[in-house]
Amino acid sequence: MAANYDITLDIKRYDPDTQKTWVQSYQMEAGRILRFVDLFRRINNEQDPSLAWGSSCEHGQCGSCSVRVNGKPLLACELLVENAVEEFGTTRFRVEPIGVAPVVRDLVVDLEKAYERVHRAKPYLIKRAPLPPSSSYYQLSPKEIERYEDATRCINCFCCADACISSHKNFIGPNAAMASIVRLMDPREEEKEERLKLLYSEEGIYRCHSSKACSFVCPKEIDVAHFIALAKEGDFGGDDGRS
Amino acid sequence: MAHMLKVNTTLSCDVLVIGAGGAGLRCAAEILEQRPGAKVLAVTKVAHPQKSHTSTAQGGVCAVDPSDPHDNPAYHMFDTWKGSDCSADQNVVKKIVETGWDQLMWLENRGMHFTRLEGGELGKRTFGGHTSDFGKVSSFRAVFDADRTGKSMMDTCWQEAVKGGITFISQSVLTELLFSDGRCIGAILFSEKEGEFIGVTAKATVLATGGCGQVFRITTNCRDNTGDALAVILRAGFPVMDAEAVQFHPTGIVGPGILASEALRSEGGILRNRDLEPFMERYAPKMKELAPRDIVSRAMESEIRNGKGVLNPDHNIEHVWIDLRELPDYVHDVKLKEISGFFKTFANIDPKKELCPVRSSNHYHMGGIPTTEFGEVQQSAEQIVPGLFAVGECASASFHGFNRLGTNSLLELFTMGKFVGERVCDYIQDGALTELPKDAGEATFTQFSRYLEASGTGNIGVIREEMRNLMTAKVGIFRKGDEMAEAMESLKELRERAEAVALAGRTTRMNQELRQRWELDNLLELAMIITRGAYERKESRGGHYRDDYTERSEEFDYHTLAYMTEFGSVRLGKRSIDMSIFEAGGEHSEYFKMIPRKY
Repeated sequence: MAANYDITLDIKRYDPDTQKTWVQSYQMEAGRILRFVDLFRRINNEQDPSLAWGSSCEHGQCGSCSVRVNGKPLLACELLVENAVEEFGTTRFRVEPIGVAPVVRDLVVDLEKAYERVHRAKPYLIKRAPLPPSSSYYQLSPKEIERYEDATRCINCFCCADACISSHKNFIGPNAAMASIVRLMDPREEEKEERLKLLYSEEGIYRCHSSKACSFVCPKEIDVAHFIALAKEGDFGGDDGRS
Repeated sequence: MAHMLKVNTTLSCDVLVIGAGGAGLRCAAEILEQRPGAKVLAVTKVAHPQKSHTSTAQGGVCAVDPSDPHDNPAYHMFDTWKGSDCSADQNVVKKIVETGWDQLMWLENRGMHFTRLEGGELGKRTFGGHTSDFGKVSSFRAVFDADRTGKSMMDTCWQEAVKGGITFISQSVLTELLFSDGRCIGAILFSEKEGEFIGVTAKATVLATGGCGQVFRITTNCRDNTGDALAVILRAGFPVMDAEAVQFHPTGIVGPGILASEALRSEGGILRNRDLEPFMERYAPKMKELAPRDIVSRAMESEIRNGKGVLNPDHNIEHVWIDLRELPDYVHDVKLKEISGFFKTFANIDPKKELCPVRSSNHYHMGGIPTTEFGEVQQSAEQIVPGLFAVGECASASFHGFNRLGTNSLLELFTMGKFVGERVCDYIQDGALTELPKDAGEATFTQFSRYLEASGTGNIGVIREEMRNLMTAKVGIFRKGDEMAEAMESLKELRERAEAVALAGRTTRMNQELRQRWELDNLLELAMIITRGAYERKESRGGHYRDDYTERSEEFDYHTLAYMTEFGSVRLGKRSIDMSIFEAGGEHSEYFKMIPRKY
């Protein structure tokens, strides 16, 4: 039989109607490969239907369930009970909302606000480079793509932005910066100037202190700091870069 | 209490898109490209459109490459027709297949990322049921972005919509459609975040709210796929088509119910029972692991029913194994990195060394809101609802009939998204905005007041789980008349229990329990028409399999239309299956008659 754990979750709560903040403890027995989203659901079903928390796909592909557990931003759908016990060396966990946008209620933050920065970074192709004659699409070699492919895996869970030691007020944030860097490295994008202007602006990448906290916490294991470092060096590959 | 609920905000727009996944936003992007400056509002239930369920599609998207000498649109049409168990509509199949590659290029040229070959061309892989030369050999028809094709497409769609100047309304749901003289003129939305009701008048309204997989206990669908627009359509007195046509994907990961893509099998993964026998050889000698999804799912369930399953003690779920140990490290580490990693992340299993537990899981709803080939919502087989459109998984045109082929869903999203966008542009040309009707929202306020005022006992989440268990057990992969009759009675009891539940909090602002209460009503309504449709269809066809009627029957060569304005009281109608390719009688038309579905 699988081992069970006696788990305590100390969850930071916030009620927008009364603007009250408090920490509420929930105790439960949990199987070893239950995930933290399963625990939240059990709290709703068995103890307290009023606890609000975010999730959608629940398999690490949408980035809706980001929370801080014992100070570390992560996806609650990917945190198995036995891994949490091992990583943090305890069966008691403090769970808080991530700090990248105002809290709506309990663990739910206003991600729409956080996304404003990603929109500002213009994640789309601003101006498409012209197609080579008689081609219906760009022939990109796997080697060209490999330079930036990892960055395209970003799901905007904002864990990196939460962990970033630069002030959220001044820096556009690691994931938003990376959204623009991807397009600078994408040979299909012709508009480089506008992107460089943003990246080297007041809220741009020189706000980054190179702590690499972003890479450390990224649930998708993207080396976010690597891409910001490339941008600091102006090394975007292709005709505009040095490589 | 009722008097406290009101329309807090009124908005107007050219087009209201409800649901901002791949289909909704491809449609929106088309409108914004054709009509720069059009005011398009897109409503999403999740925190941002990028969080939509389209992002979880993994393995690929198919389209016939005109430069491929081995492929031909007729082969793809045949595969789709045969795969649908002869119940897709051929006009829709033809239309989608013929535009597939061009629309794929639309995505590529707007920055979607695809995996490439050394020479820079798009890489391709095979998928179950896709063949060349009318079933003779497997076809390489699916392009992909590693194992995150849906995310890549979703990203491109929301990015293009943002570029076009769309306005998003996040964490909000559709509660009611508004009509004037039989024409849809907008909707009432509930903004969960603000706890407020928004009245929107629009020249055209597009429904794109996705699937309803949460009806079932074992599902690959996200927490938000609760069939919301389908329930709203039923309440408006309109039908849902082929509700009983539900697809079960063979390989959900036991526990979290996460999808492990078919790509695992196309790369060489083998299904084994408790004796480690590669049992697919017995069920589909030719295609084995790559037989269509319903056949593989039933084979797995049969093994489990015959005592050849394995019990997982943690989740108390029986399963079979998928053996990935022989796959090269390159496949594990690069090609299918994310899927292979799922087993490690969600079950602490190393797929290079250990067998992985999988169980057939609810995956896709072929049925949905009936539409024409242009996405116009139908109120009967003959009549449309002016001003109202539907696209994506919530709609049924029908491209998939009773069984969908892998990679055909993403294809449908962006091709139909474009077609619907085009039709909407035509429709709004002469359209005028109507004032918000005086009684707008009354039905919503009555409904929500009922939830807020209930004073009995019970828990919404627990009732939802009971319903899901019931549906997986009795209306799942194997269905039987008497069991479904029992299920319909149980659903009525669950609904009565739901009515009693007093909510823990009476606030409307970010009250998840309130939203879940509303979702539960939607789910129960969907569960009821799925069950009733399946009960009446006394045959087996595609994903709908009856233990007591194991063969397809020509008596049921039609689409089911189910109406239900009062819970449990279902009225049924029919829509015929379009066979225009067959009837046109051209080259290859003989492949498009009612053919047996054997692989």
